Amino acid sequence: MRPARATDGKAVLRFSGGLEIRVGNLLSAAALLVTAVLLATVSLGSGATDAGLLQLLQSIAGEPASADQAYALWTVRLPRIVMGFMAGWAVALAGAMLQSITRNPLADPGLLGLSQGSMTTIMLLLVLAPAAPKLAIAVAAFAGGLGVALALLWLVGGERASGLAILLMGIAVETVLSSVGSLLLLYTPPETSLALADWMAGSLFQANWSAIGTFAPLFFASLLGLFLLGRATSAHDLGAELAMSLGEPVRRSRPLLLIFAVLLSSSAVTAVGPLTFLGVLAPRLAGFLSPASGRARLFLSALTGGILVVAADTLARSMIGDLPLPIGLGLTLIGVSLFILALRLQALRRLQLH
Amino acid sequence: MRFPTLATAILMASSALAADRSVTDDTGRSVTIPQEPARVVVMHEPLLGLPLMELGVNVVGSYGRKDDGSFVTAVDFVDTVFGTGRPKPRGIGPVGQIDLEKLRALAPDLIIGMEIDVEKVEQLSTVAPVYLQNVSSGKAHGFSVEEDLATVVGKKEAFETRRAAYAARVEAVRKTLPADGKPKTYLAVFLTDQLNALGDMSGAVQALEDLGYARLPLTAEKAPAGEGGSMLLVPLGAETFGRLDPDLLVLMNTYMGDARDADGTKAALERIVPGWEKFVTPAKEGRVLYLDSAKVSLPTIASAEHTLDAIEAWAKR
Repeated sequence: MRPARATDGKAVLRFSGGLEIRVGNLLSAAALLVTAVLLATVSLGSGATDAGLLQLLQSIAGEPASADQAYALWTVRLPRIVMGFMAGWAVALAGAMLQSITRNPLADPGLLGLSQGSMTTIMLLLVLAPAAPKLAIAVAAFAGGLGVALALLWLVGGERASGLAILLMGIAVETVLSSVGSLLLLYTPPETSLALADWMAGSLFQANWSAIGTFAPLFFASLLGLFLLGRATSAHDLGAELAMSLGEPVRRSRPLLLIFAVLLSSSAVTAVGPLTFLGVLAPRLAGFLSPASGRARLFLSALTGGILVVAADTLARSMIGDLPLPIGLGLTLIGVSLFILALRLQALRRLQLH
Repeated sequence: MRFPTLATAILMASSALAADRSVTDDTGRSVTIPQEPARVVVMHEPLLGLPLMELGVNVVGSYGRKDDGSFVTAVDFVDTVFGTGRPKPRGIGPVGQIDLEKLRALAPDLIIGMEIDVEKVEQLSTVAPVYLQNVSSGKAHGFSVEEDLATVVGKKEAFETRRAAYAARVEAVRKTLPADGKPKTYLAVFLTDQLNALGDMSGAVQALEDLGYARLPLTAEKAPAGEGGSMLLVPLGAETFGRLDPDLLVLMNTYMGDARDADGTKAALERIVPGWEKFVTPAKEGRVLYLDSAKVSLPTIASAEHTLDAIEAWAKR
């Protein structure tokens, strides 16, 4: 490993195998990781019971915490932090991948209708078989998301389609599916629709260790996928023709990326409900922090996504009084303010340059 | 791994305290609950909490109560149904966001939810055993929820005593009504921003039917929407309403506002069906009973008794 300069003059670290990492990206990743840890500490300390990191460390060291503290830390707060981070990670990663293959910074599992596809199949399943097991729900979510993805590809005419066509068609499909969702909510018995509406608002209430156990393999698979498919995304960023001329097997990697993104987003929908716009927010914020491509971009985006969801949940749990704050609303409050700030700063920077 | 050990310890502690008897709840789940639960948390205060309070059960928490003790809707049903001065349950977090830590701090030994809470059972069970009670129409009628719950919480005797007193009151009120031996029908209408036929599950329906009134049949054609088994209300078209002629028309205005007396109810109906008093037959013939929805629409014996009081006053007018 040795420090060097890239062709654009930016500092990089070169490894013996040919791997090259930008120092800026490395520093950003470190900063994000530190933020994630700090946020998790704050989150661990927020709630009705007086417990936090100190009690957690004591309990790990073998000093027993009170039953209330153990419950708050191990049964409520830790699962929420872990689940929230993994779900946010998955959605942001899916968004970043979709943006590469559609070559559009607005592509998001929510905007392209993938989340809606998952939601609609889950709703249909819950209406037809209210007592369906969790696995069936997960399969339905994946099938719905994948169905929408394949329908999108078919509708826009396969791999020759432009990014804009996919996005427009995605929005159209999303709108249709949303109205199907509203229809289901209106015409199912109130008891069913109340349960559906509860679930659609999205929440980390269901986070527990068994759900984390189900989600964890996917999370680790996403790390693997990030390293295996990450390079391909930087080729896709340049467009299908250029990617092909660079030797990227587009016919194979594009569907693979799409299926992977669907798997990630549908699993997150199953676990915590829809996290719309996070797929756009997180990569954009990560890009503002440190411009990157390929694996570094995916990693930074996913990390930002995880942090945003944990932050939203922490905000919701530390609200004073009886103000309910669904996870989607918390994400909007935190994420969109940062988003606007980042865009404004970028605009100001451009103004100064000219 | 510390977590499984901890989790097992917590589970064992809670089940050791609670392991008294095994019951099957309305969703078919087998659940071990205390013989006579001492601290109950309910997931719906009007439909589950009030019937339990009437039986003398200590309801320590309810979903929908706020931190300051007020209730999420404009009306506090504990005050309207039982009178003021009763202790109120504590809250378990804002609606839509149950706070498991707050719930646990109330130290419940039983949590009672509705069938729609089935998704929440896994998480709620980390605090205390969860029993799910059916409250949707077709499955619950009158104050049957209270009777069902009395069996669950071991208060059967308290319920029977209460019901005997109620039955005596029904007989007394029946004598004040004109008796011509013919079967009589009633239509109970709940006014929101539209007309709704009151569902099966309320003290009002129980009292009316115990007095010998039968629900006016509404065919599918007459009740155009909402056939899906609503808990409380079935929408009713204004035109349909104008044509119906029950022996007793029962009107009540929504409990979301303060105008629940006869004048408020008349004014509310005037906004939906202008001039109704001039053409609706029961109104022209003085067969309209006004009820306070905040008192009578819950599945409690007290609600049924409030209805009896109103009917008696109407019969003696």
